[in-house]
Amino acid sequence: MNSLTPVAITGVGESEYGRVLEPPLFDLIANAARKAIEDAGLSAADIDGFASTPGVPPADELAAALGVKERRFTAQASVAGAGTVGAAQLAQLAISAGLAKHVLVYYGIKTSRPGGAYAFHAADPHKADLEMPLGFYGQPLYFAALAQRYRHEYGLTDEQLGEVPVAARAWARMTPGSQKQDPLTLDDYLENPVIATPFRKLDCCLNSDGAAAYVVSSLEAARDLPNPPAVVAGVGFGALPVTLSEMFTQNPDLIQFAGHLSSKRAYEQAGLGPKDVDFAEIYDCFTISVLLQMEELGLCGRGEAASFVEGGRIGPGGDMPVNTHGGHMSNAYIPGTNHVVEAVRQIRGVRGEAQVKDAEVGVIAGLGGNEHATMVLTVDG
Amino acid sequence: MGLPFFEPRLDTDLMRPYWDAIRNNDLKLPACSVCGAWLWYPPESLPCHPNGHLEWRPVPKTGTVYTFTTVERCLLPGDHKDETPYTNALVELDDVPGVRLVTILVNLNGTPPKIGMRVRYAPTKVNDQTLPTFEPET
Repeated sequence: MNSLTPVAITGVGESEYGRVLEPPLFDLIANAARKAIEDAGLSAADIDGFASTPGVPPADELAAALGVKERRFTAQASVAGAGTVGAAQLAQLAISAGLAKHVLVYYGIKTSRPGGAYAFHAADPHKADLEMPLGFYGQPLYFAALAQRYRHEYGLTDEQLGEVPVAARAWARMTPGSQKQDPLTLDDYLENPVIATPFRKLDCCLNSDGAAAYVVSSLEAARDLPNPPAVVAGVGFGALPVTLSEMFTQNPDLIQFAGHLSSKRAYEQAGLGPKDVDFAEIYDCFTISVLLQMEELGLCGRGEAASFVEGGRIGPGGDMPVNTHGGHMSNAYIPGTNHVVEAVRQIRGVRGEAQVKDAEVGVIAGLGGNEHATMVLTVDG
Repeated sequence: MGLPFFEPRLDTDLMRPYWDAIRNNDLKLPACSVCGAWLWYPPESLPCHPNGHLEWRPVPKTGTVYTFTTVERCLLPGDHKDETPYTNALVELDDVPGVRLVTILVNLNGTPPKIGMRVRYAPTKVNDQTLPTFEPET
């Protein structure tokens, strides 16, 4: 891995976020991309690489809209969550090989579209024939069944689950543009009706329309650009040997994601470990996903996350700040991508009252069903 | 307790033998015709023996609950308000390693569902459709 060129995230951008937004997905993405390029101190003509995931408008159309002169590198990472975080790995490979100088990673989503966030599962023939006729449909049910299994193996109280959205809300209230800004207490959580045991609506992430983007450049180039470089010290990818179709029912250990694989690779490349981590941005589609990934990132031992989060430990003022923008639960559901944006801002030290003190090493965990990517971001030097 | 009604789409014939067996109150799962390995969910092409085919074989009708969730809000397309609550479970059948069936637990009669609970196959008719549901063994 020593032959890789050191890279950094030089620019980040976000569209507005909301439950239902008027502009088409393409416009939201173009808006986020323009902001990311401007934030990097670059112009569209400097961007020569593109990386994204399935399900978003293709790079040629975005490049044309932005006024990009020549695309020299275009790649598609895996499914969002894993892909939006893992795209930095493709960017680093392209830059190391001399294929591109500045790679734009972009993603956008409109869950307000018909079928919402569940629709891609309905398209799956196995789910249509083996799960939906039994009413087993929608990500909240899949992850509720995981949470029940976790509860059985390690113990898990409603109060422990509630720590996750309560912390997220506290962070979101310090983050301009967050979709949810009203206060949320543990009592509010416990009064929220159960939708599928053990989950309440508040165990689930938001539905969002919005887009986010970031620019990856060589560290050398980054040092001449306006913002302090957020160094991509390591980025790892991992995948389980089950299909996405089977992930939520046939995964031999139902409560294992591929985060233990991707984080090991990311830490190794970075020469850092979980003990060095000052803050974490973790793909929080559901409360249980945060707990499981905290364990897979090594922030605590297996089966320990539920008790680890007690007492506001992942919230503002806690000793392991998680999802310092409010995550997908209270900031917005822009799978994995708004987490990268937030981590970069923490590393730059520009988060005002939500700034984590001495934030020098951050970890970003992107879950994409059976796939996972981990990125370790650090300050320069 | 309710039961959701949502017909299998059967875009392909891949899962048709599963439902054909259920309609006859039977339970069959696909295995590799060469080595006999259970292949669930049924794949388009066999990873163990690409020249083999899927053979649908009768399986034991008893098993153990691996996990469950009691659904208060059904998320299927359409209106299913009157069909909740129901308890989805993943059941591991006896002597069918590596396979979990998605099912609904019926006839609980107030017994709280539990992981590790022993269950037996008890198909239930909803409208014209038979569902592969399970009930407590005792």
